[in-house]
Amino acid sequence: MFLFMIKRLVQIVPVILGVTLVVFLIMQMVPGDSAVILAGEGASKETVEQLREDLGLNKPLYEQYFSYISNVVQGDLGNSLKNNQPVLDEILIRLPVTMELAFFSILITIVLGLIAGIISAVRPYSFSDIGVMVVALLGISLPSFWLGLLLMYVFSVKLQWLPVAGWDSLAHVILPAITLGAGGAAIVARMTRSSMLEVVGQDYIRTAKAKGLKEHVIIYKHALRNALIPVITVVGLQFGSLLGGTVLVESVFAINGLGRMIVDAIRTRDIPMVQGGVLVASLVFVFVNLLVDTMYKVFNKRIDLN
Amino acid sequence: MNSEVVLEVKNLKTHFISNKGTAKAVDGVDFVLKKGETLGIVGESGCGKSMTSLSILRLIPSPPGKIVDGQVLLNGKDLVTMSDEELRKIRGNRISMIFQEPMTSLNPVIPVGEQIAEALRLHQGLSKKQAWDKSVEMIGLVGIPSPEKRAKQEPFQLSGGMRQRIMIAMALACTPEVLIADEPTTALDVTIQAQILEIMKDLQRKIGMGIIFITHDLGVVAEMCDQVGVMYAGQIVEHRSAQDLFKNPLHPYTQGLIGSLPKLYEDQDELQTIEGTVPSPYDYPEGCRFAERCPFSTDICVQKQPILVQYDEDTKVRCWKYTDEWQNSLTRGVVIP
Repeated sequence: MFLFMIKRLVQIVPVILGVTLVVFLIMQMVPGDSAVILAGEGASKETVEQLREDLGLNKPLYEQYFSYISNVVQGDLGNSLKNNQPVLDEILIRLPVTMELAFFSILITIVLGLIAGIISAVRPYSFSDIGVMVVALLGISLPSFWLGLLLMYVFSVKLQWLPVAGWDSLAHVILPAITLGAGGAAIVARMTRSSMLEVVGQDYIRTAKAKGLKEHVIIYKHALRNALIPVITVVGLQFGSLLGGTVLVESVFAINGLGRMIVDAIRTRDIPMVQGGVLVASLVFVFVNLLVDTMYKVFNKRIDLN
Repeated sequence: MNSEVVLEVKNLKTHFISNKGTAKAVDGVDFVLKKGETLGIVGESGCGKSMTSLSILRLIPSPPGKIVDGQVLLNGKDLVTMSDEELRKIRGNRISMIFQEPMTSLNPVIPVGEQIAEALRLHQGLSKKQAWDKSVEMIGLVGIPSPEKRAKQEPFQLSGGMRQRIMIAMALACTPEVLIADEPTTALDVTIQAQILEIMKDLQRKIGMGIIFITHDLGVVAEMCDQVGVMYAGQIVEHRSAQDLFKNPLHPYTQGLIGSLPKLYEDQDELQTIEGTVPSPYDYPEGCRFAERCPFSTDICVQKQPILVQYDEDTKVRCWKYTDEWQNSLTRGVVIP
């Protein structure tokens, strides 16, 4: 187990290097010159040139990249092109907000998804099963920005139960977290259902029945633990798209999180900001995947992590 | 031997109803199991022997399976009509079951000791500690070395033979009155098979339970069983003591089965077989289900289904040959020309 952790932590290095390289190259390729945008409309050619010189944007690409990497290793993510503040400071303010949103969203994904999936699987093809699966299908099909606006309209504007936007109290978390978690919950529900149905047909469930166990013991102790293994994989994958989803949801609900920061930075060609944001987001994703892989071992000792 | 009846199955019918029609997997099975006795149920694949055993504890997959008729009496109480809750208290407690597939019949993510202990806590109300100790004791009893260590392991850490021993330990933990063993040794090596059979016989002597032993292996029947029920196409065609059955099989199907065994001391160029195939459970013939493959078949066999008749005190056979009608038709046959 320990060896596995070390191995995986070492593997993070090339992954992160790859991510920074790809982001760096993409930012070079997108149209729009950060120096021109920074200098503002109507700035003279000389000003733009000067700015480019100051920011080191006229150096060869590989030089720019290596100087960036060597700074990153020393914990310096560079300064924002927009306000010259350290990128890391900005990220440290934004990251907790996004993590809080992600945490509650994934909680909704797991709890709602599992409950719905179990309800479906216990009585397959019943009305409750069909009902839950129709809702799940809706959950998968609805785009999150639309669902967010809809929830906002119903619960904030019409019913006035919850705040419209912002990020001050726990009440502010509810709508964004539902918006972000709903799609994942729907996928987890479908996965749990099919996985449970497969497990329930196994010989060992027949053994459990032959032992005279109560139905809830059979479902929660004997079936669910086996059914959860593929579900954990799905939750891990969902976390990736969930991080992507924060970009939209933070924009819809005007939350000052990491996702919105990256979007704003892209718009102003604030390359260090974009790179820093993506770097941190991918670090988070890599660690969550490590966590997921470790969870396999907890649920199924047969899996040899090494 | 005590001749008290523990389990009686009367006219049991389990049908599978689907778009394809109705498959009469079990179609009127009768037998009696006495205390301390081993009843073998033999027959080829698909004859309904496994479905019979699953029907006793109502474990058939439903839908599409359904017990449409008959009774399963445990000390006179009908299991077919009793509530799910009542039946649950009998399962694993008074009637236990061992399955054919030791590799897949244990839960892969639960330590085997716990899989035994949970039944003990449930049926005997033992505490966690007591149940665990009893579970370890049972694992030792079925001949697994260092049971304390094994109890904590999960099935994947055990061999097939050990897993089947765990299944036996699990089935016998609550000292049941009836043990249903559905081909418990089919998936195992012959040497392991002999050990498992020995353990079962040994524990039967200790606990005194009746065993229903489902198998297609006539060698195992000779080794284990007091009584034998031969099944064909969803019905018992012959029911008698194992000794008599091997010495003098009555039903033409049984004769065919025993005749098809390879013989050690005779020079055989070719093994005997029973010609033809088993009729489809969706569409059984009107008359005797074996008539098409039977060397003695006559008109009456094709026209009318035989019933299970008492041949002698403890022998029943489902064949026209052993009825008065047959004698009559034969005499007539002789007289007319």
